[in-house]
Amino acid sequence: MDAYDTADSDEHPLLSRLIKVGLFLLAQGIAVMLVAFLALLVSFGASWSATTEQASLLQPGEARSGSLLLKEDGATLEAIRLGTDVDITVSGPTLRARVTQAFRNPSKDWVEATYVYPLAAGGAVDTLKMVVGDRVIIGDIKERQQARVIYEEARRAGQKAALTEQERPNIFTNSVANIGPGETVLVQIEYQEPVHQVGSEYSLRLPLVVGPRYNPAPIIQSVDFRKDGSGWGAAASDPVPDRERISPSVLDPARNAPVNPTSITVRLQAGFALGEVKSHHHNVRTESPDTTTRVITLADSVAPADRDFELTWKPAAEKAPSVGLFREHIGDADYLLAIVTPPSAEQAMQKPLPREVVFVIDNSGSMGGTSIVQAKASLLYALGRLQPNDRFNVIRFDDTMDVLFPAAVPADAAHVREATSFVGALQARGGTEMVPAMRAALTDRLGESNMVRQVVFLTDGAIGNEQQLFDTITTMRGRSRVFMVGIGSAPNTYLMTRAAELGRGAFTHIGSVEQVEERMRGLFAKLENPAVTGLTATFSEAKADVTPAIIPDVYRDEPLVLAARLDKLAGLLEIKGRVGDRQWSVTLPLQNAAEGKGLSKLWARRKIADAEVARTLREMTSEDADKAILALALDHQIVTRLTSLVAVDKTPSRPEGAPLKLSELPINLPAGWDFDKVFGERPHPTPTQLRERHADARNQPATRRPIAAAPDAIRLPKTATSAELKMVAGFILIVLAVILFVFNRRQTLLTDAV
Amino acid sequence: MAARAFFLTVIAETMPRLISPLVLALIGLILFGDGAYIHAKAWLAQVLLERAFDRSVATGVAVKPWSWADTWPVARIEVRRIGASTIVLEGASGQALAFGPGHIQHTADAGERGIAVYAAHRDTHFRFLRNVAIGDIIDVTRRDGRHFRYRADSSAVVRFDASGIDATARDFELVLATCWPFDAVTSGPERYILHATLIGADG
Repeated sequence: MDAYDTADSDEHPLLSRLIKVGLFLLAQGIAVMLVAFLALLVSFGASWSATTEQASLLQPGEARSGSLLLKEDGATLEAIRLGTDVDITVSGPTLRARVTQAFRNPSKDWVEATYVYPLAAGGAVDTLKMVVGDRVIIGDIKERQQARVIYEEARRAGQKAALTEQERPNIFTNSVANIGPGETVLVQIEYQEPVHQVGSEYSLRLPLVVGPRYNPAPIIQSVDFRKDGSGWGAAASDPVPDRERISPSVLDPARNAPVNPTSITVRLQAGFALGEVKSHHHNVRTESPDTTTRVITLADSVAPADRDFELTWKPAAEKAPSVGLFREHIGDADYLLAIVTPPSAEQAMQKPLPREVVFVIDNSGSMGGTSIVQAKASLLYALGRLQPNDRFNVIRFDDTMDVLFPAAVPADAAHVREATSFVGALQARGGTEMVPAMRAALTDRLGESNMVRQVVFLTDGAIGNEQQLFDTITTMRGRSRVFMVGIGSAPNTYLMTRAAELGRGAFTHIGSVEQVEERMRGLFAKLENPAVTGLTATFSEAKADVTPAIIPDVYRDEPLVLAARLDKLAGLLEIKGRVGDRQWSVTLPLQNAAEGKGLSKLWARRKIADAEVARTLREMTSEDADKAILALALDHQIVTRLTSLVAVDKTPSRPEGAPLKLSELPINLPAGWDFDKVFGERPHPTPTQLRERHADARNQPATRRPIAAAPDAIRLPKTATSAELKMVAGFILIVLAVILFVFNRRQTLLTDAV
Repeated sequence: MAARAFFLTVIAETMPRLISPLVLALIGLILFGDGAYIHAKAWLAQVLLERAFDRSVATGVAVKPWSWADTWPVARIEVRRIGASTIVLEGASGQALAFGPGHIQHTADAGERGIAVYAAHRDTHFRFLRNVAIGDIIDVTRRDGRHFRYRADSSAVVRFDASGIDATARDFELVLATCWPFDAVTSGPERYILHATLIGADG
């Protein structure tokens, strides 16, 4: 009954057995081959299925190693080199800065370069020039979209073009298209800015680097419910819609030499005999052609663009002039700039009101390094200055937040000691979720109206969602006043000034530990002394458009700065206000005004800021504000959120068919920042260092470099599943199994039958 | 007893012959089931997404299709002529694509200036792309309930890393992308892209 036995009894036993074994082996072989084939396909699939998420989740760390790899490969992919020269002329109350950026292309390709750089927040950028060889092309002001279109068209047509766009009032982007191999293109922008004055000290601040910003993720859980309480709401949209545009790649100072060398020259014509002139963060050489003029240059001729340049000067006389009046005639209008410092002697006599002070300290990763030291020193100084009848509280935040006391507590020794040890233990790490901290600080739990409520906010302002913070201050400020203390080598001055303006407070900068005491003393003078309130300005004869429209309170040592557009320069300007409980007024005859420069631009810039503030305060609709801003910007040739400068060299330079590469220039980490604290602990979707951009799709290169970190053309994800392959293979195997089973069974039956 | 012994003998004799077909059948079933599971998941997810999307539009709040989902519906794409409709998810990670077409990050939203790129598997959610002809109207409804109408105007086959899609495009554009060729069973580097331009908006 055995199959083998029966087979043995068969006529060709050997042949039959061989067939069986052969068939069995064949079936097994097919199965093995199928599995092997499958495995092969899967492994192939993995190797060519690069998906977008790999590209978008690229960490700066990986980007760096990527660029290093490129160099090791000996590939000729070299970044555009940039040198910057800044030439500033200070004439009395204003300054004019000319920033020249030289884009040098050391590579063998045609390149488009983009560079993100900061400017002073109050500056009015009004001129763009592009120098190609011996030709100078002057830029025109255009609506932003229109300018972009003009630029893109020129880029595609192979013409040299430059575009200056505003990302924030203090962050700008320059794009330069079609820089030829070995070529250098100069891009020059000019801006007008008022000189800053505190007490008898005048200053200018030239930001040179954009500190990496913390851009809060769009959280879908954050829902804005409608105010009518209907329960309906809308999920808040991305708090930083333009995060890509303000996040250039940042070089780790530990691994890269500083880039973007900058030379600075300041021609200081103060208009009065000068006393001390001091650069706070750079070594400088100072020449004195006469008593009212200084020429300041960097001692090392160039410095890396990794910190703000800050210059202060004082008059030789004990006290600065308390009044300055300047005029400029442009078109059919006269522009006036008035700078008046209210008297302060009597203020000091008054007994300060008891205060409730909420200190907020930013201990996020961007504050790592020297910034947190400065912030802690400043806060400890402030705690020491509190009076026993004051009340206070301390809030610290990164992407989490702690409020030290449930409500403000009396500033007695025990509480101050507790706060001191709390502050002393702070470490800088994590993200920068500033809005919840501001909310907590503005929440007025005591509600005691006989106390002055002040919020002192210490931060570097390294966030991308400024507008959210402004909205928070606007809606929650109540009777609180917000005082901003900008910390570090490259604070976000736009955030500081606007937040202080909306919070009806003041701001100060602390760029080094040495500045802590002096600057905090100045801030406390403002906190402890009553402000000059109820200020009004009236012109006796001229019809005037004055900015700021509603004059803010002026704190101690601060000047009142007014800009106005007049129909005629005649009559008097009278400024009235209250100092404590006394009336104060000053009358200025307009005829005495001295000739000033660029005052119309300053007036327009200030009007634009007013419109932005009115928009934040909901006093103006977005549309109305945009319309006003656009009209002012086009009238006065100023770069704004809505307008850009564009310059196109009509002579085509890039030969048709030659590809164009995009080079996004990396920036330095601001001095004193800790790279790992900023980038080590959180994912940060930084665009990678080098990006290629092709002039037209026809010129796709046949072979691509192994590391195309994030080509501008969008990478498409893998969009085939293995479902069908699996189902087909599975089906084949099942069919095989059935065949084999039937075959075996037939064999058995046959043999049984025999 | 004799019958039992007979059966045992038969089983003992036939076992070695049964094992190989059984193993083959088992592997076959697992593979087939795995493949079918992908389709089942794609289909079921769309049902849940459809529901989540309708609630999103009604409430204006992003609703997750299931509690542990790491993505959420952002838009509905419809091609009325061929009766195709599908819900798009935020992000185009492999996990998200298993459930529905993905909106590729860092591209514009539908209806915004720029280029909106959606990608999906050719054998599930974007199988219908092969039937979309140039000139067809593609309707996109966003999560906020706004509705945009695009017209397909070109198609191309490109490599995944050289899509030629310009992220800085300034027009109102839409691209639907999937793997190419449609009938292949293995994944390759080629992608089919269908380009469309905004022709109208309402709501």
